[in-house]
Amino acid sequence: MNRIGIDVGGTFTDIVAVADDGVVTFSKAASTPNDPSVGVMDAIDRLAEELGTNTVELLSKTERIVHGTTVATNALLERKGAKTGLLTTFGHRDVLEMREGLKEDRYNMRLAAPDPLVPRHLRLGIQERIRPDGTVHANIDYASLDQAIDYLKKEEVTSVAVCYLHAYKEPKHEIETRERLEQKIPGISVSLSSEVFPEIKEYERVSTTVVNAYVRPIVENYLNRLEDRLRDVKYKGPVLIILSHGGVAPIKEAIRLAAATVLSGPAGGVAGSKYGSSLIGTQNLVPFDMGGTSTDISMIVNGEPALSSTRGIAGQRIALQSLDIVSIASGGGSIARVDSGGILRVGPESAGAVPGPACYGKGGTDVTVTDASVILGFLDPTNFLGGRENLDKKAAQIAMDRLATDLSVDRAEAAEGVHRVINTHMAEGIRLVSVRRGVDPRRFALLSFGGAAGIHITDIARQLEVERVVVPRTAAVLSAWGMLATDLRYEVSRTHIGDTSSLTAESVRGVFEEMEVEGRERLKQAFDGPVTVRRSADMRYGEQIYEIDVLLDGIEFLSDGLMENISKRFHARHEELFTYSLPEQEAVLVNGRLAAIGSLPDLPGEPRTGIESEAKPHTKRQIYLSSWCEAPVFDLESLAPQQRIKGPAIIESSTTTVVLRSNDEAVVTDNLWLNIEIGKN
Amino acid sequence: MADYVDPITTSVVQHRLSAIVAEMGEAMLRTSYSQILNSSRDFSTGICDARCRLAAQAEHIPIHVGALSYAAESVSKYFGDTVKAGDVYLLNDPYFGGSHLPDVTAFVPVFAGKKLVFWTINRAHHSDIGGATYGAYNPTATSIFQEGVRIPPIKLYDEGVVRQDILDMIATNTRHPRDFKGDLAAQIGSVRVGERRVISLIEEFGVDIVLASVEAILDGAEQQARDVIKSWPDGVYKGQAVLDDDGHGREDVTIRVEVTVAGSDLIVDLTDSDAQSKGFLNSSYANMRSAVTMAVSYLIDPETPKNHGSQRPVTVKAKEGTIVWSKEGAPVTMCTSHCSNEICEAIIVALSAACPERATGGWGRRFRVAIQGENPKTGSEFIWHLFHARPGAGGSSGGDGWHNSGEWHSAGGLKFGSVELAEARFPLHFEKHEFRSDSAGDGQFRGGAGVELEFTVETKNSALANTAGDGSRYGSRGMVGGKDSKPHYYVLRKSDGRERILKTKEISIPVDPGDKFVIHSAGGGGWGDPKKRMQSARQMDRKNQIVSSTES
Repeated sequence: MNRIGIDVGGTFTDIVAVADDGVVTFSKAASTPNDPSVGVMDAIDRLAEELGTNTVELLSKTERIVHGTTVATNALLERKGAKTGLLTTFGHRDVLEMREGLKEDRYNMRLAAPDPLVPRHLRLGIQERIRPDGTVHANIDYASLDQAIDYLKKEEVTSVAVCYLHAYKEPKHEIETRERLEQKIPGISVSLSSEVFPEIKEYERVSTTVVNAYVRPIVENYLNRLEDRLRDVKYKGPVLIILSHGGVAPIKEAIRLAAATVLSGPAGGVAGSKYGSSLIGTQNLVPFDMGGTSTDISMIVNGEPALSSTRGIAGQRIALQSLDIVSIASGGGSIARVDSGGILRVGPESAGAVPGPACYGKGGTDVTVTDASVILGFLDPTNFLGGRENLDKKAAQIAMDRLATDLSVDRAEAAEGVHRVINTHMAEGIRLVSVRRGVDPRRFALLSFGGAAGIHITDIARQLEVERVVVPRTAAVLSAWGMLATDLRYEVSRTHIGDTSSLTAESVRGVFEEMEVEGRERLKQAFDGPVTVRRSADMRYGEQIYEIDVLLDGIEFLSDGLMENISKRFHARHEELFTYSLPEQEAVLVNGRLAAIGSLPDLPGEPRTGIESEAKPHTKRQIYLSSWCEAPVFDLESLAPQQRIKGPAIIESSTTTVVLRSNDEAVVTDNLWLNIEIGKN
Repeated sequence: MADYVDPITTSVVQHRLSAIVAEMGEAMLRTSYSQILNSSRDFSTGICDARCRLAAQAEHIPIHVGALSYAAESVSKYFGDTVKAGDVYLLNDPYFGGSHLPDVTAFVPVFAGKKLVFWTINRAHHSDIGGATYGAYNPTATSIFQEGVRIPPIKLYDEGVVRQDILDMIATNTRHPRDFKGDLAAQIGSVRVGERRVISLIEEFGVDIVLASVEAILDGAEQQARDVIKSWPDGVYKGQAVLDDDGHGREDVTIRVEVTVAGSDLIVDLTDSDAQSKGFLNSSYANMRSAVTMAVSYLIDPETPKNHGSQRPVTVKAKEGTIVWSKEGAPVTMCTSHCSNEICEAIIVALSAACPERATGGWGRRFRVAIQGENPKTGSEFIWHLFHARPGAGGSSGGDGWHNSGEWHSAGGLKFGSVELAEARFPLHFEKHEFRSDSAGDGQFRGGAGVELEFTVETKNSALANTAGDGSRYGSRGMVGGKDSKPHYYVLRKSDGRERILKTKEISIPVDPGDKFVIHSAGGGGWGDPKKRMQSARQMDRKNQIVSSTES
């Protein structure tokens, strides 16, 4: 049987199949943004072809399809979600648009305010009120509810978010509201805050619920269509969707919690990195995914990807636990120029895909990072993307010469300058991400993926004093591959506030038991294998506002000292993150969290191929590393385990190019990954 | 020092310096103890060179930033040649380079060999600094000694060793010594992180190259600022901004400015401003300079680095004894918001004639309320602050102003807390937290809306409230033909329906159980002639009830 991973990107839909014997096959098809399921089906056809079979045959021998989708992401970025209404507590309808008073970009006083996903006239206050302890202060006034629903109906709203104050504690008004909505507007899509994100703090909850309502009909439509298409070709197995937290869930759940699919795309890359970290035996890894217009940075600490609840996208706050992926708006397409102060700048402007870098020959005249890579000899103009595209070196040179004149240096020096500046920017980005996690990046290995990463990664590693860089063989399709290595995961949370000294062990135990029942229940609908649960809590000291995530794994929940053990964990975690703790101070518990995880069987290891003693370059070319030198060029896809390559050298494939600098040494692992030791200069 | 450094190296050094101040900020955020720091982020980080010129700053609180060099100068002058590696210096005294007492600034000198080359700096607003009232905002104070403990430049660490007696003495003079020490430790951690990273930058490039790069960075920022100023017509531009009152019976306290544009130079002359006040509206010198820096920063390009270079075109004239520069001993606590917001506003009003597209409508003023009483849920004392009035931002040529995004001096950098959390922790019940219709100033682009906030105090016993702020008589300023916003309007409504209008500078207001605060905050000022506002935008505003249908 096969397992198939499918990752839909902006340009290509990548697909990977892993067979029982561990053989990995990949292919790709052009993405079809109007209806991505077309591209997905094309990719499956291509893969079948690659395997010498047909689609129906292939799918009859497929036990599972895991899919990463950017449908929700794009709906948010392009503002093409459903026409959404919001029903909320009377007197509090602007929380969404208030954004807690914060404005981005401090000195840009003329920045226009962003439009909220739900305009004010579609945010309606309902007479009702719950108290923080869950008691009802005022029952729902059905007259005000009916009036609001009638207005939303008249406005032809297709999706409604419902978020009442303190509904995390007592959801009954939200549930009553849904009943009424479904009665009065049959077929309406309803998202309740008490189901999407049942946690205290109204801004986080309303924003997350609104995002869910906004993307849900789009996600539902797409996934149902995909399911239909797969049914047409007789596929009978499950389709699992990778969610922002890095676990997978069945289609039904992905629709219900559509806001959790927003980081589905990049989540695959992190999941692949996590799996990779176990394959190559390093627990601490920085996945570094550099593409044309943006670069994603995340961290795997002690074998686990970092999660965060403060992520968002396109200016929208989504408080669901997500992989902590930080995006920098720079990449191969970033434009270099000399500013009016005479200083070289690279980005944030980007040439994008159209017209793209000058060397794409699509009419771009601005010089970009990719143009610099062509001039420095890192990219082979005749062999870009495995020869599918040719690059216009002359156009890159003309563009670079203008910059060189402005800088009063020669062409190669200018190109190297652009290269250095972008690398500094990236290295500082990684450093900031690691500082935020409270870890020292020098202890980490960098994992290079995404088309542009390999050219820059060895220099970035040097700047960070990182000693090891890892390049997976499947760098460009790491996402699709990584999805196959993830587990089913349901996240459940409950707000349960109190000092650890005043909360009783019994009540905390009760909350976690309740969550466990819910998590296992949900999991059971799609899964009958072994289930594990992971517990954690959001905690803080009295006056702090930000909670930290405290893992409770390994704590005996039935013991008498439960509260004491939980608070010990908190102090220790605080110390670890912030260098100090205040054990004499009261710890406050805010939310309990539980992940129910259904472990899927491990991916079978790849079979080892024949071992050759020495790697042979297929050609040589001139590259510029402070001065011109001749570097051997190796084909990544024909390397064999244990082969060693010393820098300076270039290793290229149809999807990526890796630059080894002087004193760097790459060793090919048994999985055909590159393990690069960064030389000391 | 190297005479020339190439633009590529300069760019790399600039990236590194920006990353260092950002990292100092992260360290602070993660280690600070008080809510005002780790949640509201009321702190800033920067790096000055040996001549105390600001080389890099992280974008935190605009009003902090321009003042950092004056503080560094004060330390540098006081300690002269005795400064050694491993030392940590501290200061808060407004008459010794500080702004107001709650803002405590920590400095670490960075050496290259034996030569002092940089200062890494962290300024943070402490939740209490001693004095007559909790949190320093004391409208009745008539002397700085009623506002808190004064810290002139002192050496807190001597070559790496803490002077414990001094630290304890300062901490003892605050209401929560443990919190004070925790936050100070975070500040020191932050400047030390900066020191380490600057040293490794110097080791990598060599001190000469780094210093030459800093010169090039400052020159570059200066050039960018001059390019903008040069595009404004030469001339003398006048502006003024008026404060409601000083809390001691004096109304219409006025800041007057005359700004001369001459080529690429700006002369900002504040000497005609009103005399200093008895109360805490006075500005210290450094704070006044910082307010001028803030105004100029808001008018030049957003991407131009806000460092010493971008301020080189500016000359400031002012007179000691005026509201913008009070004589030693006068109270100043309010000054980081008022009168610095009005200094900024007066300058922008003046220059709106020279660069109308860049001048934004007025941002709202501050009006905070603190309530102190007994929490029936816990039986212990509570203090709750409405520290953010949620006023609107000004409209601009870029579009309508942001709703409830604050005041000139923080420009959307201060976050307000959750109503649900406040209800869960304090004896407060919030009936309303919504945009205030018709609060914004009209214009081609209107201001952002202010907020209506209504909450009932559910204590068992009586509580007390203090206020501090301004703007209940004057709204946010309309610019370039735009209209002023409505001013703040705060009322305490008794359970029998009687209403007491709250003034902006009061202490010990009695609050009975069941009393309701009705807070209506100002919108932002409008920008441009209201006649030019698109009809579709007006329709949308009515549909969204930002403007009620009865208003035109």
